[in-house]
Amino acid sequence: MHELGILFNVVRTVEDIARQNQVTRIAALVLQVGELSPVVPHYLQACYPAAVDGTLLEGAELKIEVTPGNALCEPCQKVFNLRASRGKCPRCGRSQYEILSGQEFLIKEILAC
Amino acid sequence: MKVIEIKQQVYQQNDRIASELRAEMKQRGTLLINLMSSPGAGKTTTLVRTLEALRGEMRIGIIEADIDSDVDALTVARAGAQAVQLHTGGMCHLDAFMTREGLKALNPAGLDLIFLENIGNLLCPAEVDTGAARNVMILSVPEGDDKPLKYPQIFRVVDLVLVNKIDALPFFDFDLTVFRQRVSALNPSAQILPYSARTGEGLGAWTDWIRAAAAQWKRA
Ligand SMILES: Nc1nc2c(ncn2[C@@H]2O[C@H](COP(=O)(O)OP(=O)(O)O)[C@@H](O)[C@H]2O)c(=O)[nH]1
Ligand SMILES: [Mg+2]
Ligand SMILES: [Zn+2]
Repeated sequence: MHELGILFNVVRTVEDIARQNQVTRIAALVLQVGELSPVVPHYLQACYPAAVDGTLLEGAELKIEVTPGNALCEPCQKVFNLRASRGKCPRCGRSQYEILSGQEFLIKEILAC
Repeated sequence: MKVIEIKQQVYQQNDRIASELRAEMKQRGTLLINLMSSPGAGKTTTLVRTLEALRGEMRIGIIEADIDSDVDALTVARAGAQAVQLHTGGMCHLDAFMTREGLKALNPAGLDLIFLENIGNLLCPAEVDTGAARNVMILSVPEGDDKPLKYPQIFRVVDLVLVNKIDALPFFDFDLTVFRQRVSALNPSAQILPYSARTGEGLGAWTDWIRAAAAQWKRA
C-alpha cells in the first residue's frame, strides 16, 4: 500500500532526528497532511502500527492535522475550499484559481518523553 | 514532555539520498534508468530483448522489484544481466532507500547501464524520486490510449514513453495519433516510441535512445 511506503520514509526521518536530539522514547508523532496531498489520513492511521513496529516510534501515538485545500478565485478573488466547492468558485462558478494551501505533507513535530 | 519541531517534507530525506545516488552514478559513468509500467505491460520482456540487442556492447545490471519473487531476476540473469532481486514486501513503489540497497547488492563497478524494474503501478512510482538519471514508462496497446487522461502524473515525469505490443494494434482501438496528442499535452518534451517486444519491430529506436542517453551521461 502507498501509505505504508510513505510511513517508512517518516520513520527513518524521525529516528534520525530523535537520535540527534538524544531522544529515546517518543510519546507522539504529529503529521500535517493537506487535503490536496496524495495521502489519505485514514489509511495512514491504518498502516501506522505495522510501519512503526520494532522502531523508535513503536507505541507512540500518531496525530494527523489536516490542512484545508483552499484556493483563490482569479476572476473574482474569493477564497474558497476546493473539496467543498468541487473545484468551482461558489461565487462565480469558474475554475480558474490559485491554490493557497492543502498540498503540504509534513512531519511537523514529535513529543519526546 | 518535550516538543521537538521537525517541519520537514516527508520526502526531503528521500530526495537528498536520490540526489546523492545520481551524483555517485554520474561519477561512475553508469546510467540508471527507472522503468515503470502497469503489471504485464512488458517490462521484463523488454529488458530481455534489450539485453540481447546490447550484448557485447554495454555491461548491464538490473534491479528487480516488480514482484516479490525472483522469477523476473532469474529471467534477466539468464539473458546475460547482472541481476538482483529486491524484496519489497507488498510496497507499491520504489524509493531512493530501496534503490540504494539494490545498488549495494548489485555492485555497480564497471557497469554502463542499470535498469530498475519498478513495481507494476502507474500511480505511486510517479511521485517518488528513485535516484535514477532517466525515467521511462511502458504503456502497452491493450491498456488503451486513454491512460494519459486517467494517470496524468506519471506521463508528466517521464523522459520517454515506450508503447509496447504494437503487434496487437489490429485487435484494439488504440489510436497512436490521439495518444501522442494526449501525452504531449501533459509533457511536451517526452519522447514516444512504439515497438513490439514480441516481434522486435521498433526496438532499434529504443536501443538508439539508450545509446544516446548513456553517451550523454558519460560526458561530464
Ligand atoms: N503480444 C505481445 N505480448 C507481449 C509483448 N511484450 C510482452 N508481452 C507479453 O505480455 C506479458 C507480460 O509481460 P512481462 O514482460 O512479464 O510484463 P511486466 O509485468 O511488465 O514485466 C507476457 O505474457 C509477455 O509475453 C509484445 O510486444 N506483444
Ligand atoms: Mg516483470
Ligand atoms: Zn470566482
